Amino acid sequence: MRGPKFLFALPLLIFSLLFLNTAQTQAAPDGEAIFKQNCTQCHAVSGDVVIGPGLKDVTKRRPKEWLHKWIKNSGAVIKSGDAYAVELFNKFNKTAMPAQNLSDEEIDGLLSYIEKKSSEAPAAAAGAPGATAGEAGTEEESDNTGMILIIGAFLIGLVYVLTLISRRLAKAVRERNGEPEPEQLKGMSWARQNKTIVALSIILLILIGSVKGWYALSSIGISQNYQPDQPIAFSHKLHAGEMNIACIYCHSGAEKGKAAGIPSANVCMNCHKYVKEGKVTGKVEIAKIYAALDYDPATQQYGPNQKPIQWVRVHNLPDLAYFNHAQHTKVGGQQCQTCHGPVQEMTVAKQFAPLTMAWCIQCHIATPVNKANKYYENFKPVDFNKYHGTGDSTLTVEKIGGTECSKCHY
Amino acid sequence: MEKKYWKGLEELHSDAEFVKQKNNEFAEALPLEDVFSSKATNNSTTDRRDFLKFLGFGVAAATLASCEAPVKKTIPYLIKPEEITPGVANWYASTYADGSDYCSILVKTREGRPIKIEGNPNSTITKGGVNARVQASVLSLYDTARLRGPLAAGKAAKWDDVDQKIVAKLNAVNENKGNIRILTASITSPSTKKAISEFTAKYPSAKQITYDAVSYSGMIEANKNSFGKAVLPSYRFDNASVIVSFGADFLGGWISSVEYSNQYIQTRKLRGTTKMSRHIQFETALSLTGSNADKRVAIKPSEQALAILNLYNQIATLAGSATVSDKAVPCAKDIKAAAQELWAAKGKALVVSSSNDTNTQMMVNAINNLLGSYSSTIDLDNHCNIKQGNDAAMVELMEEMNKGEVAAVILYGVNPALTSPKVDDFKKGLAKVGLKISFADRADETASLCDFVCPDHNYLEAWNDAEPKKGNYSLAQPTISPLFSTRAAQESLLSWSGNKMDYMTYMQENWKGTIATTQSLTFDAFWTNSIQSGLYTAPNAPATATTAPTVDLAATASAIISNPAPKGDLEVVFYEKSGIGNGAQANNPWLQEFPDPISKVTWDNYLAVSPKYAGDNGLVAGTVVNLEANGQSVKLPVLLQPGQAYGTASVAIGYGRTHAGKAANGVGANVYPMISVVNKAFHMMAAAKITKTNDALHEFAATQTHHTMMGRAIVKETTLAEYIKNPAAGNAPELIQTNFGKRPSEEVTLWNEHENPKHRWGMAIDLNACIGCGGCVVGCQAENNVPVVGKDEVRRSREMHWIRIDRYYTSDMNEERGHEEHKGTKDVMHEMEVPSENPQVVFQPVMCQHCNHAPCETVCPVAATNHSSEGLNQMAYNRCIGTRYCANNCPYKVRRFNWFSYTDNNKFDFNMNDDLGKMVLNPDVVVRSRGVMEKCSMCVQRIQEGKLKAKKENRNIVDGEFKTACAQSCPTNAIVFGDYQNPDSEIAKLEKDQRAYHLLGELNVQPNIIYLTKVRNTMSNEA
Repeated sequence: MRGPKFLFALPLLIFSLLFLNTAQTQAAPDGEAIFKQNCTQCHAVSGDVVIGPGLKDVTKRRPKEWLHKWIKNSGAVIKSGDAYAVELFNKFNKTAMPAQNLSDEEIDGLLSYIEKKSSEAPAAAAGAPGATAGEAGTEEESDNTGMILIIGAFLIGLVYVLTLISRRLAKAVRERNGEPEPEQLKGMSWARQNKTIVALSIILLILIGSVKGWYALSSIGISQNYQPDQPIAFSHKLHAGEMNIACIYCHSGAEKGKAAGIPSANVCMNCHKYVKEGKVTGKVEIAKIYAALDYDPATQQYGPNQKPIQWVRVHNLPDLAYFNHAQHTKVGGQQCQTCHGPVQEMTVAKQFAPLTMAWCIQCHIATPVNKANKYYENFKPVDFNKYHGTGDSTLTVEKIGGTECSKCHY
Repeated sequence: MEKKYWKGLEELHSDAEFVKQKNNEFAEALPLEDVFSSKATNNSTTDRRDFLKFLGFGVAAATLASCEAPVKKTIPYLIKPEEITPGVANWYASTYADGSDYCSILVKTREGRPIKIEGNPNSTITKGGVNARVQASVLSLYDTARLRGPLAAGKAAKWDDVDQKIVAKLNAVNENKGNIRILTASITSPSTKKAISEFTAKYPSAKQITYDAVSYSGMIEANKNSFGKAVLPSYRFDNASVIVSFGADFLGGWISSVEYSNQYIQTRKLRGTTKMSRHIQFETALSLTGSNADKRVAIKPSEQALAILNLYNQIATLAGSATVSDKAVPCAKDIKAAAQELWAAKGKALVVSSSNDTNTQMMVNAINNLLGSYSSTIDLDNHCNIKQGNDAAMVELMEEMNKGEVAAVILYGVNPALTSPKVDDFKKGLAKVGLKISFADRADETASLCDFVCPDHNYLEAWNDAEPKKGNYSLAQPTISPLFSTRAAQESLLSWSGNKMDYMTYMQENWKGTIATTQSLTFDAFWTNSIQSGLYTAPNAPATATTAPTVDLAATASAIISNPAPKGDLEVVFYEKSGIGNGAQANNPWLQEFPDPISKVTWDNYLAVSPKYAGDNGLVAGTVVNLEANGQSVKLPVLLQPGQAYGTASVAIGYGRTHAGKAANGVGANVYPMISVVNKAFHMMAAAKITKTNDALHEFAATQTHHTMMGRAIVKETTLAEYIKNPAAGNAPELIQTNFGKRPSEEVTLWNEHENPKHRWGMAIDLNACIGCGGCVVGCQAENNVPVVGKDEVRRSREMHWIRIDRYYTSDMNEERGHEEHKGTKDVMHEMEVPSENPQVVFQPVMCQHCNHAPCETVCPVAATNHSSEGLNQMAYNRCIGTRYCANNCPYKVRRFNWFSYTDNNKFDFNMNDDLGKMVLNPDVVVRSRGVMEKCSMCVQRIQEGKLKAKKENRNIVDGEFKTACAQSCPTNAIVFGDYQNPDSEIAKLEKDQRAYHLLGELNVQPNIIYLTKVRNTMSNEA
């Protein structure tokens, strides 16, 4: 099972890496940067209307000179009575495009970027799923170990049973033919002669089994690396990693209170009103946000048939434990990544930490409090020998009572 | 010497029932026989092997299933309202005004659902106080008995259809000039009044009648006769140095009791002063007010009016005015003493009476006038609007209805089929009315008789305004979208009058033209400010001088003498309990399980008689009697109530509901129909007869069955005179015998001290300020998800309240007296169990004492309960294995064990058994499961929240910025929460107060809760 899938995934992976690589080298860095800086608020490189028209094949529609004039000062072009310009102006709610302070070279770069994008758009869309498939393939490779072990055990069992059957059959044949039984098998007699070694090995096996079993049992209920499928293929890697969007832009509760919060769909719409097509999944996933809000891109209005998005909760702290994000972020100054791991590299959100009490406590023992906060100013000196580490006078979370029951359980 | 402690009075008296139960460990037979001998077991095809197979499979399946964590969905808002941050509470100012209570409140909402009510500290009237009923009202929002939409002829209907039919019928009535009557409870809302007037303008034959279940119309009438002002005055108990009350339970429910509680305690707190008001109560039943009085005189209800006449004459004599004719009363000596005290405090005295008799109230007015109380302790200018009922109009309505002269009746905020005296007359009359419309939120006793029920919003879902006191406005705003298809009653009235405006706009328009003109801001700014604060106080109108009453007092007096109050062998008074009140919120399980402040009985009403009367008439606690009065009869159990006047009984109204919902139906008996109607006024008393029935003894579900302190200093008390001499009077330290002689108990310890790096939280409870109302009990229940356990479990002493209020009576016997009378210890002990006939009463709130040397912590085998560095005795529920060692080792008996799962359990069918009721749960506090111990956490969730707020704002904690739920809900601020290690905090100062002591200090468990001794303003000649 492992082989074929891996083999299938490998070329895809290589292909997609190659493709991404070439895409990067081919892109005119100038044009892309300019486009993102100046144009994305109102335009898409695709044919979609954002606020202004979609720019796909705009170089084919209009001559370059006209475009240069238009970009530099669209108002002047409209004033000059250019028929196309006036029509365009009327078509888009009489909103003039602001004049862009760009040099001719920059505009050329920009137009060549749009030209290139126009021609490759379908190819990019086709290439993208390949990339995700490649990633998924590598993910599954590691997940298969358990299955392989089970199959291995099954095969060993099968071999053992088959051996038994063949022995039994051989014995039956011998009995029918009246042949004498052969001498005891060599291995068995060896075992009888070396009972100590056998006993020690058995004890060793039991010990290993117990230890392994203990850890296996104590991991029940711990969902580290839990990575459920989500209803929308949202990628933190893309948003937090590549786009560099701050965590609290979406998880805005993280510095305010208990819950960091899953962003409501209207937060998504702050960007996705304009970004109508993703670079990885195209329109498919973004359309799910629109569907949830019953959003009509043409009228830019939310409709009445809204359906909430049912995300799957990744971090499930039991109800008996109280956790407050603000205490750790705003007050404690912890980075999100301390507990949530390199989220900016996760395509699908994953539980990074075990979220066990031991894990909490270890951090509370080791972490000094933020003494810049005036609240922590007048803590009385306590007997530091009482705590972990002897006589260390660093004021850690533990030393102000941060490991006591009712800090988290009430 | 061997001491014998009684489990309760039942054991002491060796009641037959008790003796039978005592030897039987399991009160109910275990159904073992049924299970093992039943045919089903023997004939079953499932044999032992099959059973083991199933068991094995079950275990394996469960193990496998538990390895896989269930997938949990998380569903964010699609469009998040800007003001909501999940996990952070939002607070809204609002108003509770239901026609019997008024409170300005703050509503705590989480993710859009109200979960807690707190007092609005900016209110000029209630000053941040709330009572148990207002606290509990948040649960009434999530009552499953509420109607989901309008009803037509008892069947679910659509608003459009209902409106169409009603308007058609109203128009027909109007054309035929038929009478339309709008029967309402007291309405304090100016905009609602305007909406009603708009309705009466559209239908000219319509008339509004105000009817209060508990009536004050005699007082209103008296003020009209005396001063030409048909209103209730505002009282200033804080200005009074001598208060004499005739039956008025002004701390428990009389008119605006939350306001009065706060005023009353201002002169009784002894903070930086040695002045204390003197309070004398003449009353029949032992009320909350009477139990707080410095002197209490038990009188029969028929004596009240005569006692007031006597008091008038005594004062008139002292004042040199003309006296009136009177009649001797048994309490003449006490009246004379009271008159002298009142006269000595002239200008700072106050006399109030519960009487609903106009003449009696006119005499009270005359007394207050002689004492110069008007303009000092009584304010007629800024009058009180909370009660406006008119009994005569109600009586006339019943007559009209019975004559068939009423064509349509609209009922708003009233339930006369439950609360009306002569209820059969009302029901017969109502049947003759062609069109009956109710705005009730449920198909209650009256609404179920109506043609249409157009359910009003719950007050937490609705806009409203109120003017509880002239010029003091209060606003209510919705804190949740309407849960069901309900509509504001005002909107219903407006739409039937042809005005399609929504009520909020209507209210704004009304304010624009009237209230907003008294200030200078633009309307939008004014409106936003008022909604935000929930309050607006108009500038004071210049006070008009109160003219002396122009009343013929001689005629009034002779009217009183010639029209005696109902008199009989047994005189019974009807009263409101602090919890259930007039019964409107009876389906609230928190209120049903709320122990009566005096009797400590839950889930019941009863006939309270004095122990002596019971003894003379062969009654014991729990005897079921038939009570007959005013042609009605009900069965009630007898409760022995020390302090009840001999030859009288008292019964609470508001019980015996039949159409309220699952919690209230069938609890207690309804005695409203027994209320006497004299001169078209409702008197909460009747001459009655009781006959014993053969029913089995009734077992009360009481949270306290032991009534005296047995000579121990549990509540330490002293008198004002002693206190002035020595502030530490009555607060002697407990001494322990050691090798070095007797030492204070604090010096004798086995344990090391705890270190407190920054905080040591604690509470100080001023026993002088605690009036025993129990607001804290419900406040705590709401804050900490304390489950309701029901009548049966309370009977087994398994109530879950984290805070209780112990109430102790004094006994005539004490050790010294026993010594003098040469009685044996056993006899003395025996007699010390018996409360006095008219005992003094003390209240003591007891919650976990958060001992620094806690006995519970040392016995927990799994360290589930231990001490925090902030002085809290913490309880980790998920660590607890339920040995209950801690509860057994707790000297204060404050730990509560979860014998059952009280959530999703049909045996405990209260609010935590349905999805709607669970919406009230506080998401910051875990719901405890079966088999774990729980107790007061000193609201650790609030401490944590308060600390976090300070940290987020980069500052230190300010004393008083957050409080525990009990401290917050206390209308008299008897509970002070704070940090002992903050030298500027109030509690650090109170700890040094000479009145401060630890409960059971001899144990030296070093609690973080301190009590301040009770000081009584008693004269040396009084007990």
